[in-house]
Amino acid sequence: MTTNRSRRVAVMAVPVLALLALAPSVSAMVPETPGPPFNFTARAGHISTADGGSLLMWGYANGDGIMQYPGPNIVVTQGDLVTVVLTNQLPVPTSIVFPGQVEVAASGGTAGLLTQEAAPGETVTYTFTAAEAGTYHYHSGTRPDLQIEMGLVGAIVVRPQGAMGMHMAYPHMGAAFDREYLFLFTEIDPRIHDLVECGQMDEVDNADYFPVYWFINGRNAPDTMADNFAPWLPSQPYACMPMMHPGDRMLMRIISAGRDLHSFHTHGNNFTIIARDGRLLESAPGLGPDLAESNFTISVTPGGTADAIFTWTGEKLGWDIYGHQQDIDNEPLGDFPGPGDIDHNNDGIFDNVPMEDHEYAPDHGKPFPVVLPDVKDLTFGGMYSGSPFLGAMGFLPPGEGGMNPHAGFMYMWHSHLEKEMTNNDIFPGGLMTMPLVVPHHVEIMH
Amino acid sequence: MTASRTAMLFCLVLIAGLLWPLPARSAPFLQCPPDTDGVDTDGDGIVDNDHVCLHIFAGDGFVNMADGRLMYMFGFGDANGVMAEHVMHHGMLGAEFPAPTISVREGQKVYLNLTNVGMMVRPDLFDPHTVHWHGFPQAAAIFDGVPDASISINMGGTLTYFYNVVEPGTFMYHCHVEATEHMQMGMLGNLYVLPKQDLLADGEDLNGFTHHSGYTYAYNDGDGSTRYDVDYPIQLAAFDPDFHDASWTVQPLPFAMMKDKYPMINGRGYPDTINTDPIANTYNGKFSQKVHSLIRATQGQKILLRISSLSTVDYFTVTVLGIPMKVVGTGARLLRGPDGKNLYYDTTSLTVGGGEAFDAILDTADVQPGTYFLYTTNLNFLSNNTEDFGGMMTEIIIE
Repeated sequence: MTTNRSRRVAVMAVPVLALLALAPSVSAMVPETPGPPFNFTARAGHISTADGGSLLMWGYANGDGIMQYPGPNIVVTQGDLVTVVLTNQLPVPTSIVFPGQVEVAASGGTAGLLTQEAAPGETVTYTFTAAEAGTYHYHSGTRPDLQIEMGLVGAIVVRPQGAMGMHMAYPHMGAAFDREYLFLFTEIDPRIHDLVECGQMDEVDNADYFPVYWFINGRNAPDTMADNFAPWLPSQPYACMPMMHPGDRMLMRIISAGRDLHSFHTHGNNFTIIARDGRLLESAPGLGPDLAESNFTISVTPGGTADAIFTWTGEKLGWDIYGHQQDIDNEPLGDFPGPGDIDHNNDGIFDNVPMEDHEYAPDHGKPFPVVLPDVKDLTFGGMYSGSPFLGAMGFLPPGEGGMNPHAGFMYMWHSHLEKEMTNNDIFPGGLMTMPLVVPHHVEIMH
Repeated sequence: MTASRTAMLFCLVLIAGLLWPLPARSAPFLQCPPDTDGVDTDGDGIVDNDHVCLHIFAGDGFVNMADGRLMYMFGFGDANGVMAEHVMHHGMLGAEFPAPTISVREGQKVYLNLTNVGMMVRPDLFDPHTVHWHGFPQAAAIFDGVPDASISINMGGTLTYFYNVVEPGTFMYHCHVEATEHMQMGMLGNLYVLPKQDLLADGEDLNGFTHHSGYTYAYNDGDGSTRYDVDYPIQLAAFDPDFHDASWTVQPLPFAMMKDKYPMINGRGYPDTINTDPIANTYNGKFSQKVHSLIRATQGQKILLRISSLSTVDYFTVTVLGIPMKVVGTGARLLRGPDGKNLYYDTTSLTVGGGEAFDAILDTADVQPGTYFLYTTNLNFLSNNTEDFGGMMTEIIIE
């Protein structure tokens, strides 16, 4: 028996280990690409738009893989010597430029306007030192008005050195975070992609540009909310589905990678903008983000980046968001007040309902302030749990809800130019996602 | 059965039918609980007046653009003081653009009753509505107004939102059901919160600045630096006439081709922006545009402009020719760094995207009396569709 069992375990270990080897490394919140050196191939492919369409794209593939939109995340550490080897399998010359990086050396290929370009079939190597921590991006430096539109764009994250690199956007406590997510904004005019696909690239008229698709991390809503590496979106591996617990500091790495301005609004709370274009908003080096700005909507100019910290606790709403019972005097047999009786919010009343992490004490036990209408008067959202309380489920008519199994609070984060919340004439969609705040007892699996 | 028994049965059925209770005419269920907590939270020294009860309706209606064109729209409207039994009739085709301005005080507890009165012009639509208080801090999903994440109110029903107001500043509100459609159609309004610093005792010292009764501030600045004399909400938005016509004539809505041609301030294009009277629409004569944008001040006064944009398509850059602006707040927060460093800045222009808000103070101390213009420097938007000299512009009269 023992022999059989150990054999079974050994047999199982192989596929499990294989899975681990394929799994995205370290932080699944910002999936990393193996490197440096990074080996990218510029090639054509297709993406799926959330209205069921597909578009011809030109993008960067990791190694000899399939093209992805956006390109593979380059995640390095401050001070790293970064080498990016670009092999061109497009029918046109292409290149990569690295806004915000200095002294980028390029070798191979032919001199183009901005940098060395690779002709079809050629290889060019770019090298730079990632001197400053922060959020940046890379994109084609060849006919960028066409090639960025076609998808040749990707994110760069430079982490501070050492252990703090995983929990700080910049080397200062003011840039500390618990969770981080990428928000790379682009837009697409499908006519350009259709012309390229039909071999009529030279008829593309950029003066006539009219986008009808908007993307976060290469996906339209609601695909933004699917998992990273969703198998049915093979060319769009990156999700934008932030999740957090009350009290978490969530870092938003925002990259405006298209040609249009987008005013991005977070429901639920303000965020604090701590950096722009890879530099802390600080009045002098080392002071940390003392020029940080709190806002509920952020505009990042095309080509720019911003880092912002979002946090939420549900404080000061005037009612107990967890739906705790009113304070009651619990009289265990004979020993009141006993060890289970704690005055949680110093109001002289002992109760046995403990406070949640980051719960606002003065609101503990306060009743829900209104009577909700009868179910016949209400339309329910798919992400409504049936209860107004965080972590609580409630009655829902058959068929309603179901998309929020842990009864978290979901907030729509979206471009506030609402036209951009559509997928080619279909609402809803576009530049939108629905971050989720779950109660502390719910584990977030990344 | 015998004839007499049949007759008796018939009579019984008839009587039963007559005695069956007639359907009660249902009225919106308004919730305005009294303030009995014995605590003064809004800083005015009185413990039982912290609750604010508001009632608005949501439905459809009409407005005229500044070139006269009649536009079908969706909107909110004022139902404060209207008897519950009359709200459906009162709100029918009575939507306003912009929605009623909501102005409350820091520390108040707001009960906002929203009644959905349906769409008279579109009986095929059964859209629910919500209110999204844009920027409400630490919002809970239930009162955040996003239909996918919570609840929205059906036609004939009333939903009561509760807001414990703790942050002063300039916000905005709008419907979030089918946001692209309902916002383009006009369900947008101004919303701002007055700070507790307004209610300090006369003579109180604020770090060297002396407060006097009647002084008003944009934020609890602690030093008087956001004091103003007059304030005006300035909400930027625009209509796409083809979208509104498609809605009116039950056509597929052109989301992808949405192109705004009627840029407006507070629901009107110039010169309607400087008309201080409420404007009635030519469809049913109801006053559907009640907010003007004519700014008046005497020389030396400080004007606070509470600028917000709920545009669904375009960014707008606005300027005041001749009067510099000092931006003291954005995102409903005082522009001050985490360690108290003042981040106010002077500017001649503000670029405002949808969902952004700014508090700008115009100091007229060195400004000659006269008429000045607050207008968009996106000069093509100084138009009411094809009519030149209009659009996103209003006047500031300094006396």
